[in-house]
Amino acid sequence: MGPDPDEDGFGTGTTGETIPTDAIIRGTDVVKEYETGGQVVRALKGVDFEIAPSDFVAVVGPSGSGKSTLLNLLGLLDVATSGDVRLRGEDVSTFTDREQTRKRKETIGFVFQSFYLIPTLTALENVEMPRMLDRTPTKTRERATQLLERVGLGDRLDHYPDELSGGQKQRVAIARSLINDPDILLADEPTGNLDRDTGDQILDLFDELRRDENVAVVTVTHDDYVAEAADRVVTLIDGRIRETESRRANFEEDAEP
Amino acid sequence: MNPTRWLVGRFPTLALARRNLSRATLRSALAITAVVIGVVAIGAIGTGGEAFKQDQLEAYEGFGGTATVEPDPVFEDGNLSNTELSDGDIDRIGQAASGATVLPVHEPIGATVQTQTGSLLFMAQVKGLENPGEFYEARNGTIPDNWRRTIVIGSRVADQNDLEPGDRLRINVTDEFDRSFEIAAVLEPQGFTAPLGADQTVFVPASQFESDGYEQAIVRVDTTTGSVDAATQAIEREFNAREEVVRVEQVQEQREQFTAFFGTINQFLIGVGAISLLVAAVTIANTMLMAAIERESEIGVLRAYGYPKRAVISLLVAESTILGVVGAAIGVPLTLGIGMVINQLLLGDPLAFTAAGLRYVGVGVAFGIVTALVAGLYPAWKAANKRPVEALD
Repeated sequence: MGPDPDEDGFGTGTTGETIPTDAIIRGTDVVKEYETGGQVVRALKGVDFEIAPSDFVAVVGPSGSGKSTLLNLLGLLDVATSGDVRLRGEDVSTFTDREQTRKRKETIGFVFQSFYLIPTLTALENVEMPRMLDRTPTKTRERATQLLERVGLGDRLDHYPDELSGGQKQRVAIARSLINDPDILLADEPTGNLDRDTGDQILDLFDELRRDENVAVVTVTHDDYVAEAADRVVTLIDGRIRETESRRANFEEDAEP
Repeated sequence: MNPTRWLVGRFPTLALARRNLSRATLRSALAITAVVIGVVAIGAIGTGGEAFKQDQLEAYEGFGGTATVEPDPVFEDGNLSNTELSDGDIDRIGQAASGATVLPVHEPIGATVQTQTGSLLFMAQVKGLENPGEFYEARNGTIPDNWRRTIVIGSRVADQNDLEPGDRLRINVTDEFDRSFEIAAVLEPQGFTAPLGADQTVFVPASQFESDGYEQAIVRVDTTTGSVDAATQAIEREFNAREEVVRVEQVQEQREQFTAFFGTINQFLIGVGAISLLVAAVTIANTMLMAAIERESEIGVLRAYGYPKRAVISLLVAESTILGVVGAAIGVPLTLGIGMVINQLLLGDPLAFTAAGLRYVGVGVAFGIVTALVAGLYPAWKAANKRPVEALD
């Protein structure tokens, strides 16, 4: 299940024009199959990808096209069936579960579509959650407070999730994804449940993070508005990359709806 | 940093676990109740059993330095022989165990006891004894020094038939006598294992019996001057040189047998009590499985954010262990309360706990906590091994 040198890795869709050399994660000819009900489903049929610091990549495509599968591979939540996925040059298929978990903690920040905030924890504690076992409570608390202030929730620290609006929850979720200082932020439908104004705030926040902390943002979205804000749009159809649209320097423009 | 905050920082797993439990309050409460029942069952059976044992052993107190001698019946050619000790036998016992007091006991077969209204006391036994005051204290009335024409009854005979000193009972012993006696005294309760089964007995003065056959003799040695062991051996030598004619048993031995027997019974009962902890384990396992399923996506998030499997296991096991600890914490005072009531009823002192009894409370607590911990392991393991991708779908 390792890399397959016989196949041409760049066969489907190419990201050719701008491949930075300092890629955080890079995949070559990645295939992902899984079994459901005795049938083998090929979710990804040989795709290449590459995420560099401060990238903003939007993955679009119809449902069932393999978007979530791709996001899971990028997030080290899943391992490719074949093809080569390297995190800073290391083959992720060689990681043990423990290593994978650690790398995930060091590298990836997740923002889930339905937030998945823990209802018994306050906003601040939810943000602290990924680092709660680190036994550095003071440092963690400072950082969490700082992050919540940054997403504009400095006055909501002690509110529980059910006391927050959708946009506020989303911002808590983003603050939480940043607590471990990730290199990549993976956001599943980051504006899915939000109104346009709140969505704008989220996108602005992404831009800020990329500019200030070199965080790469990869988002799966149905929302053209988000796709327009990205500087690279990858269209997945039926497990293959159909087109890659590059719109660099986009985050400096003012994207009107 | 305030102390709570420090604790949360120091033991984040416990803090998280506690909060998670508070989310399903009713379910947690039910699981805790199951543990409480288990802990109380083990603890209360243990302490209660010990109190009961103490109560029974008290009956042996008056029998230190005492042995019983019974004929060893022989069944031959359809005839039962050697069923009684004769006056001569009693004398020989007295000579063999020199310095010992020998008290012959009549235990007539086919004796009936009736109240004055004519109802039969089926359970009562009739025994002829020279001086019950040697062994027993009176609860009501007094045991006369020169006892010839009244009777003394055991506490259960009195309680079950509403009898008290001054009442009369009609006693019929085949071939001996059939007359009415006044009750002089009711004895202190002795427990059902007491020698001579005093609680169920109607004691009639030995002088009422004309026959010189005795079913039993009690040999009593003053332990400050003699030894019951020596007396026992002397009687054995005198009677059983060629064949077993009499059985000699020291009451102390009976006491030990009783203690051993009772220990077995008590352990069995505690085993029954432990079954309730098994039920508690099932309840907790169920609670934790439900919690794990319900929070699957949440656990997936923890895993996605870099919580190792071990951390997820610790978290869920901590939750189930907390259920056990809280259950035990509630169970202990309840158990002690029940134990105090039992102590009061059986021993007359609520604080008469024995070390052995208290040990059972400890056993209950330990079992309660360990059960909860073990019950949480499988659900925790299952939750931790769910791949985060599946959990988040």
